[in-house]
Amino acid sequence: MLDQLARQIEALLVATESPVTLSRICELTGCGTESAEQAVLRIEAELSSGGHAIVVARLAGGYRIVTDPDLGFVVGQLFEGKRHSRLSRASLETLAVIAYRQPATRAQVEAVRGVNSDSAMRTLLERDLIKIAGRQETPGRPLLYGTTSRFLEYFGLSNLEHLPRMDEMENLLKLSAEDIERMASELSGEESDQSI
Amino acid sequence: MSADIQRACRIDIEDFEGPLDLLLFLIRRDELDVTTIHVAEVASQYLKYIREAEDLNLDIAGEYLVMAATLTSMKSRLLLPVERALMEDTEDPMEALMRHLVLYKAFKEVASELRESESIWRDVFTPPGERARYEEDVIEVDPGQTSLLDLLLALENITEKNAPPPQHRIHKPLLSLTECVSALDKLLPLNTTRDFRDALGESTDHAIVVSFFVSVLELVRRRWLTAEQSYPFADIMMKRKEERWEMNA
Repeated sequence: MLDQLARQIEALLVATESPVTLSRICELTGCGTESAEQAVLRIEAELSSGGHAIVVARLAGGYRIVTDPDLGFVVGQLFEGKRHSRLSRASLETLAVIAYRQPATRAQVEAVRGVNSDSAMRTLLERDLIKIAGRQETPGRPLLYGTTSRFLEYFGLSNLEHLPRMDEMENLLKLSAEDIERMASELSGEESDQSI
Repeated sequence: MSADIQRACRIDIEDFEGPLDLLLFLIRRDELDVTTIHVAEVASQYLKYIREAEDLNLDIAGEYLVMAATLTSMKSRLLLPVERALMEDTEDPMEALMRHLVLYKAFKEVASELRESESIWRDVFTPPGERARYEEDVIEVDPGQTSLLDLLLALENITEKNAPPPQHRIHKPLLSLTECVSALDKLLPLNTTRDFRDALGESTDHAIVVSFFVSVLELVRRRWLTAEQSYPFADIMMKRKEERWEMNA
């Protein structure tokens, strides 16, 4: 049996529209951070010991209750034809560059990938996985892109630090920062940044 | 070359996400290490591949050709003796390419890890929550569910709502030559002089002014009337010259 606090939090995690952060949970239930964390653990224990089909997911900096991925084959049928198709390789590569290098310009993405990434970026914008995050204060003031919280949810990440191989990629990017800038400026010299 | 092989090659080049991807493939196929590969070897492999694709009249994206040019120039550099001092000054383009390949390879691998996360989390479903009940009246439309007709109907709705009430203007027909002449006949007795504007009176309707003006020109042509102007755009002074105006004569 769950206690009153855990029950309240469980209800929040079911009814929420997007992952609820710990601080929001504290605000709504009036409990402290630590007791909220403990209560989440009790919910998880209760769900798994009871063999339930739902689990607590840590997503985009918060929690929400979702169905167990093992049951996707059953539940997916409810949304037949409504689900988004998987991302193409081009879109995934583009998204990866933006995720680790953000905020990144289109020229920087194309410099790393070595190919035009226009349509991939358009798809990602349409699917709300990336967003415009400002303009770079360099000649031409190209648009900068970053990832959205939808991106974190889509890949089941609780935050950007949880991207695969974050440390390795950060080092690599530090080492090749100059290369990327050089190649990107060569690219943007050839074509002016088109707004998408 | 048989059609089957042609088709196989077509699939191949379309499977690559650009020249770096192709290079990585060629390096891996020959079980070479990205950091120690021999530029001449890779360059000839790459160029061979591109040439084959060109022979098949495939659409090769410009990026592939740029890479081919870069590799060719690197290869030719290797054949030419270069002064030591010069070598140290400029960076070896091969090294830059190798670094680029390493970087691209890392992103490619990360992308495939993201692919795995995608397939797990695609199978995760969330309760709809209170979204549906409190959301504004916005209908999300999936691609393919809207037709051009829907757009046109929506546009029609907007334009119909905002458009001013329909107006219909009824144009007065021009007066006929005979009508004008008989009117002028009364306004202009023999040997009198009269200002054209004055003769028309208050009427400012363009159609009437034009009708009368044309009639005056016709009367002038028949020498039944003279029209004079002291300077351009001045008043037109008309003087009747002929007693009888018989239009049908």
